Amino acid sequence: MPEAAWHGGRSTFGRRAKAGPAHPPPGRAVLGKTRPRAAALGELAQRTAALFGRVERPARYLDSEWGARRREDVSYRVCLVYPDTYELGMANQALAILYDLLNSIGGVAAERCFVPARDMAALLRAEGVPLATLESVTPLRECRMIGITLPYELTYTNVLETLDLAQVPLHSSEREEDDPLVLGGGPSAYNPEPLAPFLDAVLLGEGEEAAGEIVAAHRASLEAGEDRATLLRRLADVPGVYVPSLYEPDSAGRPRPLAGAPARVLKRVVTDLEAHRSPTCPVVPYMDVVHDRATVEVTRGCTRGCRFCQAGMVYRPVRERGADAVVRDALATLECTGYDEVSLTSLSTADHSQLEDVLRRLARRLEGTGISVSLPSLRVDAFSVDMARLVSAGRRSGLTFAPEAGTQRLRDVVNKNVTDDDLLGTVRRAFSSGWRRVKLYFMLGLPTETDDDIRGIGELVARVMADARAAVPPNERGAVRVGVSVSTFVPKAHTPFQWEPQLTLEEVRRRQAVLRETMPRKGVDLSWHDPEASFLEGVLARGDRRLAEAVEAAWRAGAVFDAWTEEFDLGRWLVAFESAGVDPGAIASGKREPGAPLPWEHLSSGVSTAYLRLERKRALAAEVTPDCSFGECTGCAVCEELGVDVVLGGERRGT
Amino acid sequence: MAPDEFRLRARYRKGGRLRFLSHLEVARALERAARRGGMPYAVTKGYTPRMKVAFGPALPVGTAGEREYLDLWLREYVPAPAALRRLAGATPEDLAPTEARYTRAAEPSLASALTIARYEAVVDGVVAEELEAALGELTASGELAVEHKGKTKVFDLARSLPEEVRVKADGGRSVVTLTTRMGPEGSLRPEVLLSAAFDVAGIRDAPVSVTRTDVLMEEEGGWARPL
Ligand code: SF4
Repeated sequence: MPEAAWHGGRSTFGRRAKAGPAHPPPGRAVLGKTRPRAAALGELAQRTAALFGRVERPARYLDSEWGARRREDVSYRVCLVYPDTYELGMANQALAILYDLLNSIGGVAAERCFVPARDMAALLRAEGVPLATLESVTPLRECRMIGITLPYELTYTNVLETLDLAQVPLHSSEREEDDPLVLGGGPSAYNPEPLAPFLDAVLLGEGEEAAGEIVAAHRASLEAGEDRATLLRRLADVPGVYVPSLYEPDSAGRPRPLAGAPARVLKRVVTDLEAHRSPTCPVVPYMDVVHDRATVEVTRGCTRGCRFCQAGMVYRPVRERGADAVVRDALATLECTGYDEVSLTSLSTADHSQLEDVLRRLARRLEGTGISVSLPSLRVDAFSVDMARLVSAGRRSGLTFAPEAGTQRLRDVVNKNVTDDDLLGTVRRAFSSGWRRVKLYFMLGLPTETDDDIRGIGELVARVMADARAAVPPNERGAVRVGVSVSTFVPKAHTPFQWEPQLTLEEVRRRQAVLRETMPRKGVDLSWHDPEASFLEGVLARGDRRLAEAVEAAWRAGAVFDAWTEEFDLGRWLVAFESAGVDPGAIASGKREPGAPLPWEHLSSGVSTAYLRLERKRALAAEVTPDCSFGECTGCAVCEELGVDVVLGGERRGT
Repeated sequence: MAPDEFRLRARYRKGGRLRFLSHLEVARALERAARRGGMPYAVTKGYTPRMKVAFGPALPVGTAGEREYLDLWLREYVPAPAALRRLAGATPEDLAPTEARYTRAAEPSLASALTIARYEAVVDGVVAEELEAALGELTASGELAVEHKGKTKVFDLARSLPEEVRVKADGGRSVVTLTTRMGPEGSLRPEVLLSAAFDVAGIRDAPVSVTRTDVLMEEEGGWARPL
């Protein structure tokens, strides 16, 4: 039994029974992996299984889903972690892609792990059972690499929870030679500074090509018997890889490269999506997970150019999969998984140049099978409603649209190229086609927002309601519902609004009251995204390395699953910020001049800072910028910088 | 039911780690297996067509099953052995179908026809004689009141337990075999009976692992398996 050191009710397990100093002297000989593997494995699997009867939803921890790959005779085992529960993590497509890809490399096994819910975590700690992969029940600490997705800021404490349950030292600096390499990647990798001390390396951008290169570099390093420091330097040479320990923040919090590290890390991107087939035999969960269906990614990237949208900036340029490949992969995935639904995913599926063709072909092939096709995101236009009709004849679940702002002026500021007439026309078409509910997304606190803009949201919803009711037969008017979901704008790194202040909590509350003034009640379901959670998201999104101490303190105080309303507690975080000596309000809501130092300046999405500044200027002048996938290049520089191009299957049409 | 549909009945198991699946999860996994296996399944009419499939009485999370059943309606006739092969080839081993044959279209549903369940419960660390005595005392009392979600349900034990409960010692464990009658008024779960017996005997709750070994139909002159 390893010694357990308790910190505020939480255990940090020793890597091995450490009686001596916590940090062994450098140069100490380190034991290799000498455990009698097969025997130890069976035992751990049994110890884990013995806990299943004592936890809620044990299907989260089972290991024998259809499509799960278990390989014994490998020299290199990677554990892919999604830092939330199984039911959220299994919806993540990046995980499925990397799982497929890494498992196809000779001698490499990729397995999965998700964050155990509190009941399971408590049992693992009480019984001293280390967190293990699902497939072969290998302790994470015995894997060569732990690859953690960083999907959004509110999962940061889950990253620490995972490492702790895995009995892997939290800090990169404390890890020893035979500890796994801890690699982060995903959307939050574009400003990983608040997690910098906990990650050995970070991949910026798409993993299809880079993941294999990283594994190859690691294996070569193991082969050569290199020590950890040498390995990290070697990894820093892989394009797209950022090694935080090779950078030291200056007084402004801006990381500066130490000798040999690149001054700037540029994201990875695949030039041709079709060169990488969508995974057609992904793991099929038993439990009811989020997005429990087959998926085919039809497009990567979106250049509509919404100025608040980080995904729209960092996933550029647009690359479509052609209709033939989409239809082929959709059918193959259905056949291999047995799902009764396939979703055509992307940031903006209705923009795909051959969507109609794809939908017609799929409808023909799936006729009489009870299998349906779904579209995750819709534009505010007639074409989108027609496409929705094509896939869900008879399905009368609601349609979702995102006008984001209540007035034309503010929509121009954020470059949401949608007019009131577009929205109203779309709504009329949806309701006269049989839908009885729509959901509308808005944001509060967008740059330059005034109280008139806020009141505009209520007025727009009232018009939507009136038009929707007018479009349905009188006896069905009672069934008309409009869902209105309002979140707080969070300025994100690498967007034109990265310099803008976020609303303070008091101001959010005041503006919520203004919104209520004009918001109709009858038939409207108004919901708010928790502004306190958005505040924390904003702090972590633009914080620098000094925040790491606060993240750790919050986790030690019990913060985990911060994205879950019932688990989130801002108070715990405020104490943590104070103990770390940082002012969260200044980070989220302080004023930054364009040109002021930013903690993510050394990381590039390929979009030039000049372009972001220009977009900000246009925003403040309420000037719109068109979508380059429908017309001319607008000069964001990503194509030239990365040697890629917009890839379309045909000509894009529509608004 | 459309006249040109074929009602295939299959027996499957729920074992190993998959005993921790819920009834819904098992049903979904087997439906997916039917699609993966390329079964020519029939679909329901209406707005949201679904596979026509029906299952026997639900098994709770944690309970294994040795003889569980499902009915799957097919659009096309596939010889039963071939249908079984296709289905089994697309199902995880711990849920594997092991038997299949066609059944009359007019038969009542599995859920309503299967009213008798046989169980084997393995209890760790309890003396078999003590447990047997406690169960005897309990059944002799004739009734068992069970609290569930703030409501009290009273089971008539003579009706709910149509056969004698037996206890066998097996090393340090006790193996309890019992038969229960299920019905619309409720079904007595073995764990519930055992926990009441623990109370009677003054035994602390002990780990129990339950397997449903058989589910049967009540017919004139006895009980029968649906396959
Ligand atoms: S460089 Fe031009 S074409 Fe390429 S994504 Fe940017 S704006 Fe579009």
